[in-house]
Amino acid sequence: MRNPIENPNSKIENKLSRRAFLRLALLGAIASGAAYIAKTIEPIGLDYLRWMARGFTTQVFGSRTRVALATCATYDADVLAALARVWRDAQMPDLRGQRVVLKPNLVDFVAGYPTFTHPRVTRAVIQFAREQGARAIVVGDGSAFRRDAEAILDATGYTEMLARENVPFVDLNYDDLVSIPLKGGYAKMQKLFVARTVAEADLLISLPKLKTHHWTQLSASVKNLFGIVPGIKYGWPKNTLHVRGIQFFLAELVDSLPTRACAVVDGIVGLEGDGPIFGEAVPSGVLIAGTSLLAVDATCARLIGFDPAAIDYLNFAAWAGIGAIAESKIELAGEPRAQFARAYARPPKIE
Amino acid sequence: MWQHFLLTITRGRGTLPAMNTAREFLLQSQNADGGWGYRVGAMSFVEPTAAALIALRDENTFTLSEVEGRARDFLIAHQHADGGWGIAPMDAESGWMTAWAIRALAHSGGANDAIARGAQWLLATQVLRVEESANRAQIKQLLAIDSTLRGFPWQPGDASWVQPTALAILALVAAGQRDHARVREGIEYLFDRASARGGWNVGNPWMIGKAMPVTIQDTALALSALRSVQIAASDARVIAALAFVRAASARVTTAAELTWTLVALRDWQLEIEDVRARLNALQRADGSWQGNPFITAIAMSSEM
Repeated sequence: MRNPIENPNSKIENKLSRRAFLRLALLGAIASGAAYIAKTIEPIGLDYLRWMARGFTTQVFGSRTRVALATCATYDADVLAALARVWRDAQMPDLRGQRVVLKPNLVDFVAGYPTFTHPRVTRAVIQFAREQGARAIVVGDGSAFRRDAEAILDATGYTEMLARENVPFVDLNYDDLVSIPLKGGYAKMQKLFVARTVAEADLLISLPKLKTHHWTQLSASVKNLFGIVPGIKYGWPKNTLHVRGIQFFLAELVDSLPTRACAVVDGIVGLEGDGPIFGEAVPSGVLIAGTSLLAVDATCARLIGFDPAAIDYLNFAAWAGIGAIAESKIELAGEPRAQFARAYARPPKIE
Repeated sequence: MWQHFLLTITRGRGTLPAMNTAREFLLQSQNADGGWGYRVGAMSFVEPTAAALIALRDENTFTLSEVEGRARDFLIAHQHADGGWGIAPMDAESGWMTAWAIRALAHSGGANDAIARGAQWLLATQVLRVEESANRAQIKQLLAIDSTLRGFPWQPGDASWVQPTALAILALVAAGQRDHARVREGIEYLFDRASARGGWNVGNPWMIGKAMPVTIQDTALALSALRSVQIAASDARVIAALAFVRAASARVTTAAELTWTLVALRDWQLEIEDVRARLNALQRADGSWQGNPFITAIAMSSEM
C-alpha cells in the first residue's frame, strides 16, 4: 500500500469535523486515564487494582468487628477481673483445649521507660487461659535490639513471673523455623520465616504495650508481631522488614499469619512521645481487646487522639481490604471510649 | 589425657571441670546431621554449629575427631553454589552466616576452597548505602551516622549493621583477606557506629537526639574485629569501649552477657577472673550455659 500523502490525487480531508474532534478528545481522555492508572500501579501491577477492589468491597459490604474496652486503673488492681470482662465483651475465642502463645512486647528494657508489656498483664492472661482450659500456654517474643532475651526477662520481671506461673518462655529469635507463604505480595516477598512455636499454635494472643512509635506513629497489636519474625534470619533490629516498607510488611504479617490471632493491649500505662523506647509514661487505665488486630489498633489510635487513616500501616491495610478501621465498621463494647480518651504526645516525625 | 594436663596447667582451678562438662554437653547435643541448634534437640543452625566446631577443635591434633568432622561436613554440605551460607539448611539465601562458617572452617583447617568461595561471596556482598547529599544530611541529623560507609548487612542489599560487620571482618581476616579494602571500610564503619559513651549496639548509636543503649555482645564482637586487624589498645575508641565493658561487667548477670564480657576482656588481655568465676557459677548441671549450645560454645572459646 502506498502512502496516501505521496499521492497527489488522494482525497484527504484536512478539515477536522466536530464529530471527529470529539472522538479524538474522547480517545485522548481515555489514553490519559490509562496512562495515569498505569503510572499509579506501575510499581505493583494489576495487584494494585485487585487490592483496591477488595478494599472497596470490604469497606462497603464487610461486616462489623467488635473491640472491647475495660477499666483497669493500675497494675495493682485486679487485672485478671478486668481481663475477664474485656475478653467476654470482645467475644474473644474460646480457649478450651487450645495451644496458646502469648506474645508480649519485650522490645528492650531501658530503665525509667515503660517500653514493655507489664508482666502483670501477661500473668493475668496466663491465669485466664488456664482457668478457661487452655491445653498449653507458652510466652514468647523475639526482641529487636538485644540477642540475649534472658537479660530482658530478668530486668522486666518476667523471669520471676514465669517461674511462679510455671510457664515456659520461647525466644522466637532462635526457635525452629517454618517458612510461610506471603499471600499478599505487598512487600514483594514470596515467603517469610517465622517461629515454629507460633506457626503450630492454635491461637496467638498479641499482648502489646500501647505506645507511640517514631516510625509507625502507633505501636500496638500489629507492630508487636515483629517479634514473631526471627532475628537470626532478619537480623537485629529486623531492619530488612523496614527496608521493604513497614506498612507493607505489617500488612503482610496480618494477612498471612499462620495462626488465628487476637489481641489484648496493655493500656494501663501507655507510652507517649518518642516511642518505642524513649517516650513518657501515660496512665490510661485501660485494656483493649478484639479479634481483629487492625480494628484493635484503629481503636487504640482513636483513644490516644490519632486518626487511624493517617497511620500508614492502618490506612494501607484498610485500603487493601485486609481489615476495617472505619468507626462504622467497629462495634465498641464494654466501657465507653470517652472514659479513656487522652491525647498522647506525638512521636517525632521522620520522613 | 595429655590435653587435660595442658588445660590444667594453663587455666585456673575450677575452670577445667567447667570446660570438661561443657565439652561433654556439646558432644552429647550434636544433632544427627552433624549440626547444633540453639537448644538441645532443636533444628541445626549454622551459627551454633560453627561456634561449637571452634570450641571443640583441638588445635593440638592434625586430624578432626568424629564429632568435629561431622560438624565440618555439615557446614560444607550446606554451602550454597554462590559461595555463601544461609542460617540453616532450609534457608536457600546466603547471608551473614557466611562469616561464621568461614571462621569455623578456617579454625578447623582444610576446606580451603570452601573458605575462598565464602570469602569471595562476602567481599561481593551488596549493601545499602545512602550517598545522595540531602538524604545523607537527613540521616546524619537523625541518626548521627555516615550513611555512605559500607559495613556488612545481615542479608545482601540491606543496610550495614555492627554484628555482621564485625563477624565479616573476623572471617575475612581468617581467610587471609586482612588488607582488603572492604575490611578497611568495615573498620571505618565500626568506628563511625561507636557510641560516644563507649561501645556499640546493633548499629544505631544515636536516634533523634537520644543516645541508644549499648550492648555487651555487639561491643565484644566489634572489639574482637578491631583486635583482629591490630587496632592499638591505645585507640581512644577502644579505651572507651573497654571502659564500658568493665563497668558493665559489674552489673551483667546472665550467662550470655557474662560470656561476651569475657570474650571482650580476654581479647584485650584484661583481668577476667571475677567474670569467669561468676560465669562458672551459672553453669548448669548438664554442663551447659542456658541449655544453649551456642552460648556454651562461646563460653568455651573464651577460654582459648
